Amino acid sequence: MTQSLLFLVVGVCLWVIGLYGLLRVRHVIRRLIAVNIMGGGAFTVMVAIAVRTDPVDPVFQALVVTGLVVAVSATAFALRLASAEAHCTRRRESRP
Amino acid sequence: MTLALMSLLLPLASALVLLVLRARSPVLMILATLGSLIAAAGALYQVVDGGEQLLALGGWEPPLGIRFRLTPLSGLLLVFTALIHLLVAFYAAASRHSQTRHTDYWPLSGLLHASLVALWLSNDLFNWYVTLELLGLVAVALVTLAGPKAYRAAMRYLILSLVASLFYLLGVALLYGRYGVLDVALLASLTEADATTHTALLLMTLGLMLKAALWPLHLWLPPAHAGAPTAVSALLSALVVKGPLFILWLIWSEIAPPALARDMGFIMALAGVAALLSGGWSAMRTPYIKTLVAYSTVAQLGYALMALGLLLYWELPELHVALWLFVLSHGLAKVSMFLAAGEMQATLGSKRISALTGATQTMPVAMFAFAVAGGSLIGLPPSGGFLAKWLLLQPLFAEPANWFWAFAVLLGTLASAVYVFRVVALAFDRAKPTRPDFDPHVLAQWLALIPALLVWGMALVSQPLILWLTGVTH
Repeated sequence: MTQSLLFLVVGVCLWVIGLYGLLRVRHVIRRLIAVNIMGGGAFTVMVAIAVRTDPVDPVFQALVVTGLVVAVSATAFALRLASAEAHCTRRRESRP
Repeated sequence: MTLALMSLLLPLASALVLLVLRARSPVLMILATLGSLIAAAGALYQVVDGGEQLLALGGWEPPLGIRFRLTPLSGLLLVFTALIHLLVAFYAAASRHSQTRHTDYWPLSGLLHASLVALWLSNDLFNWYVTLELLGLVAVALVTLAGPKAYRAAMRYLILSLVASLFYLLGVALLYGRYGVLDVALLASLTEADATTHTALLLMTLGLMLKAALWPLHLWLPPAHAGAPTAVSALLSALVVKGPLFILWLIWSEIAPPALARDMGFIMALAGVAALLSGGWSAMRTPYIKTLVAYSTVAQLGYALMALGLLLYWELPELHVALWLFVLSHGLAKVSMFLAAGEMQATLGSKRISALTGATQTMPVAMFAFAVAGGSLIGLPPSGGFLAKWLLLQPLFAEPANWFWAFAVLLGTLASAVYVFRVVALAFDRAKPTRPDFDPHVLAQWLALIPALLVWGMALVSQPLILWLTGVTH
C-alpha cells in the first residue's frame, strides 16, 4: 500500500510538473516534452492504482498499454507537424 | 446493431482502401457516406421501433469488456453525422475553390466520420478517451490540409487537444480506481459524493470543455476553424466540437452525484452566458469572414452549455430537448454558413468582410445561404434555431426569478443578429460591388444553400420532432 501511495504521489507530481511546464514554455518541442511528462504522470497514477489489489488489476494494465500506443502515435504526428512548421518558417526567412 | 456497425465500418473501410491504394478519388467516399447514411437511418428506425440495443464487443461482457450502446438519440446522431458528411462531401467534390478535390481530405474525412460514430456508440469512459484522441488527431490532420500557413494553428490545436485528453484520462483513472468499472450504465448506479469522485469529474469536465471549446477554454477554436479549408471548417464546427459535448452531457446527467451536478450546472450556465457574450462580441469586431463564423460557433456553443447547465441546475427534463435541438440546428446552419463564407471568400479573393460589399449582386445564392443560415443562428421563426431557443426560453419566462437567464439569452440573440446583419447589410450595398476574381460557381453556391434549407425545414416537423426527442432523452 505504501509503495502504491508513493507511486501515486509521484504520478500526480509528474502530471502537475508537465502542466506547469506546458503553461510556462513556448518552444514547440519543449511543449511536446511537457505533454509527454503529463502523460507519464497519468500512466504512473494508473499503474499505482492497479497494484493495490492482488492479483494486479489487468484492465488497468490494458488501459495503460492502449494509452501508451495513443501517446506514441500522437507524439510522432506532433513531431512531424513541428518539423514541417520549422521547415516552412526557415524557408520563408531565407527568402529575400 | 448490425446496421449501426455498418454505418461505422463503411467510412472506415473506404478510408483505409483509399490510403492503401494511394487513391484520392471522391467517388468512393461519397458512396460510402451515402451507404453509411442509409445504414444509420435503418439503425434509427430499428432502435425507435424495438428500443435500446447493446452489443458486447468480442463477446466480452462488462466490467472486463466494452459495450456499444445504440439509443434513439445516438441513432439520431448517426444519421446527423452521415448527413452532414454527405452534404459537405458534395461541396468538397464539386467546388473549384474547396482546396479539397483529390487531396487527403477524402480518407481523413472517412476516418473522422468513423471516429464520431464510434464516439456516439460508445458507452465506456476509456473508449471515449480513445475516440476523443482519434477525433483530435484526424481533426488536426484535416486542418493542415490548408497548407503551411495553417501549421501553427494546427500545432496549437494538437497540443491543447492532447492536454485535454490527459485531463480526461487522469479523471477516468481516478474513477476506475475508486469504483472498478468503466461502463457508464454500471457506474451510474455506484457513484457516491466523495472527494475522489468530485476531483475525477472536475478533471474530466475541464478536459472535455477544452476539447469542445466551451468558454473560457475556447481560444484555440477561431484560428483552427478559420484557417482550415472550407469543407473542413464546416465539419469541425458542425460535428467535432459536439463529440465532447455529448460525453459531458452523459457524464453529468448519468454519473455525477445530484448535489454536485446542481452546483456544476450553475457554473456551466454562467460560462454559457459568458460564451454567448464574448463570442458574440468578438464576432461583431473581427475583420475576417471565416473568423466571424468561427466566433459565432463559440457563441452558439454557449447556448448549448447554458441548456446543459440549467438542466442540471433545475433538473428540468425538457431542457435535454433544447440542448439536442441546438446541436442539430447549429450543425446544419453552420455547415451552410461556412460553405457560403468560404466560397465567397475564394471567389471574391479576400478574407476580409469588407470584400463582401455587393455580394447579393455578384454571388446571390451564396449570400442567401449565409443569410438564411444566419437567421437560424439568430433564432428567427420558423427555423430549427428558433425551436431550440423557444424550448430554452419557456422555463426561463415561467418565473420572474429566472429572468436573468432569459435576459442573457436575449442579449445573445441581439449579438448574433448584429454579426449576421453586419455581413448582410454590407452585401446589399450594391453601389460599388467587389469584382469577383473568378466566375462565381453556381453549383457550389447551391450546395452551400441545402443545409440552410434543411434547418428551416426542421420547423415543418417541429411538433413531432419535439415530442419524439422528449421521449428519447429521458
